[in-house]
Amino acid sequence: MKLKTKLTLFNAISKLVIVTLFILLLPNIIEKINKSYTDNRLVKQKDKLLQIVRDKGIKTYIENGESYGSYLPLKEEYISLDEVEPTYHLDTIKDEQRLVERDTIDYRILSHTFKAGKKNYLLEIGKSTETIGETTGPLQNIAFQILLGMILLTILADQIYSNYILRPLSIIIRTKLIGNKFPKVTVYKGVKTSTSDFQHLDISIHKMVETIETAFQKEREFISNASHELMTPISILQSKIENMFEQDDIADELKVRLLEMQKILNRLKSITKTLLLISQIENDQFLKEDIISVNDLLQDVYEEISIRLQDRNISMAILVIDNVELLGVNKFLLFNLLFNLINNAIKYNRTDGEITVTGQWIKNNYTIKITDTGIGIATEELPYIFNRFKKMKQSLSQDSFGLGLPIVKSIAAFHQIGIDVVSEQGVGSTFTLTFPVKLTGSSPAG
Amino acid sequence: MNVLIIEDEKALAHELEFFLVKNNYICEICYDGASASEKIAVNLYDFILLDLGLPDYEGLDLLREAKKANPEAACIILTARAEVTDRVKGLDLGADDYLAKPFSLLELQSRMQAITRRKFGITQTVIDLDGFLVNITDRTILYQVNPVNAITKKEFDLIAYLLLHKNRTLTRAQLSEHIWGSVINDDYDSNFIDAHIKNIRKKLSAFAPVDWLETVRGLGYRIKTNV
Repeated sequence: MKLKTKLTLFNAISKLVIVTLFILLLPNIIEKINKSYTDNRLVKQKDKLLQIVRDKGIKTYIENGESYGSYLPLKEEYISLDEVEPTYHLDTIKDEQRLVERDTIDYRILSHTFKAGKKNYLLEIGKSTETIGETTGPLQNIAFQILLGMILLTILADQIYSNYILRPLSIIIRTKLIGNKFPKVTVYKGVKTSTSDFQHLDISIHKMVETIETAFQKEREFISNASHELMTPISILQSKIENMFEQDDIADELKVRLLEMQKILNRLKSITKTLLLISQIENDQFLKEDIISVNDLLQDVYEEISIRLQDRNISMAILVIDNVELLGVNKFLLFNLLFNLINNAIKYNRTDGEITVTGQWIKNNYTIKITDTGIGIATEELPYIFNRFKKMKQSLSQDSFGLGLPIVKSIAAFHQIGIDVVSEQGVGSTFTLTFPVKLTGSSPAG
Repeated sequence: MNVLIIEDEKALAHELEFFLVKNNYICEICYDGASASEKIAVNLYDFILLDLGLPDYEGLDLLREAKKANPEAACIILTARAEVTDRVKGLDLGADDYLAKPFSLLELQSRMQAITRRKFGITQTVIDLDGFLVNITDRTILYQVNPVNAITKKEFDLIAYLLLHKNRTLTRAQLSEHIWGSVINDDYDSNFIDAHIKNIRKKLSAFAPVDWLETVRGLGYRIKTNV
């Protein structure tokens, strides 16, 4: 889940929880507020009445011991004053029922006894609870609506803000991490942000990529320059040896030694040429404009390589189950890729061994599989077989310098062809090349 | 034939000269672009061997000059700068061939002979080897009147190369370089030339003995002929 989504989700949920709690508590709160407000009013009314009694005497309300009572027409409030026993004492505010003209009504009642003259009186002031509670419902509704609106508004605001504040991060991820063929030289384009963390992240990523890129670039340049610089002296030596070899006054015995020199020089030449080729591929110096069918390509390779099968009686089958045209490839490089893979299949095969090359669609990708019945590769060595100059234990006896598979790897990477290796020691290896759809077009089946 | 060698590596220039003079070419050498530019403007050559990586001159500019002043001359580019674009540019500018350093002198000679055949209209080159008629241009072999069809492309390449350098011992390394020069692989001592020669002998001896194809013990192979 994206950071942005997580933040928004958390915001929304936390707000909802708080608001739900509030809404649930609201009736209680309103009731409490109402009650205390009502009680306050009742006390005030009581004080006012007592003031009147003090100023004007009890006679204003009571004469001849008759009780006093008064209520509003809808009976939502009432007041009563009675003479009671001198010892009776009461001072409470309670919810009680009263019968007023045959209606039983719930009241909030303040009861208070006081002395006036020499008599004890009981004052009751009541307010119907119905009138107290009647605002609760609408209040709750309004509160709910306002809160809901506010929540939606804040969630929206959060969303917009987190979107805005996290934008640099998503730009960094999108432009500098995802889909970036690592490492690649790009001019540093700073991501606009006022968040220092993101600035730091952006610059750090850029610096890291730059460092990696510089290291790669240096290695490539070194290999390329070194190879070029080596080519000229090799060329001079080769010419000198060839000319000496032709000279009439050189004894055969000496010629054999010249030949040995030539062989060693050839080895040096091969290594240099191979390193140069790899560096050229890695520097994108080859065009990918050729069109060739898999069938033709494999036939070309077969024509070059078949002579190598003869020596140890190895049989080779080419099964192009589905033939496709490869578009936008470099024929020379693909030829060398297949040549090296098949050459290895021959080199590391047993006498009377077999090689099967199969070209077919597997799901949506075209694949070429090269299976041999050779010595196989140990599991612990598999991860290193594509490393330069890495020679496997079993291959030490072979005349190679450990650049065959690195060539294969760089050519495959150049064409974005995937390579998989499955191998069992003593049984054989299978190298599978998986072609990207853009080289083959999509599969006829799907 | 007149050859102008433009090469700043003196040692290499001398080896080229030594080799070509021995093969009956007349050579002149320039070690830098400026003197080469002068020579091209004044003299006429049949071949110009041009090293692209001159210290004082842009090699491709020199090629342009050469094509202008010496339109008849065949230009062969020799370079250690193996950039693919150089090759394309060079051939676009009218170079007749391109050899990446390091190259075999025999390869250079065979390219020069191929150009000579092409440019100077030697249409049919048929060589008779004890009854085997090898046609270099059509790439066919007849024994008297019977076509020898079993010979593969590679095998013919080998025969043609040996024939081009007839009476000369070619080492396995030289033959390999000619046959598999464009293949980059990591074998340094594998020798499949022997297998090819074995096959050639087998196929041809079905018609007649192939004594003209000699194994030179410990050194290589040679086609011996006095034609």
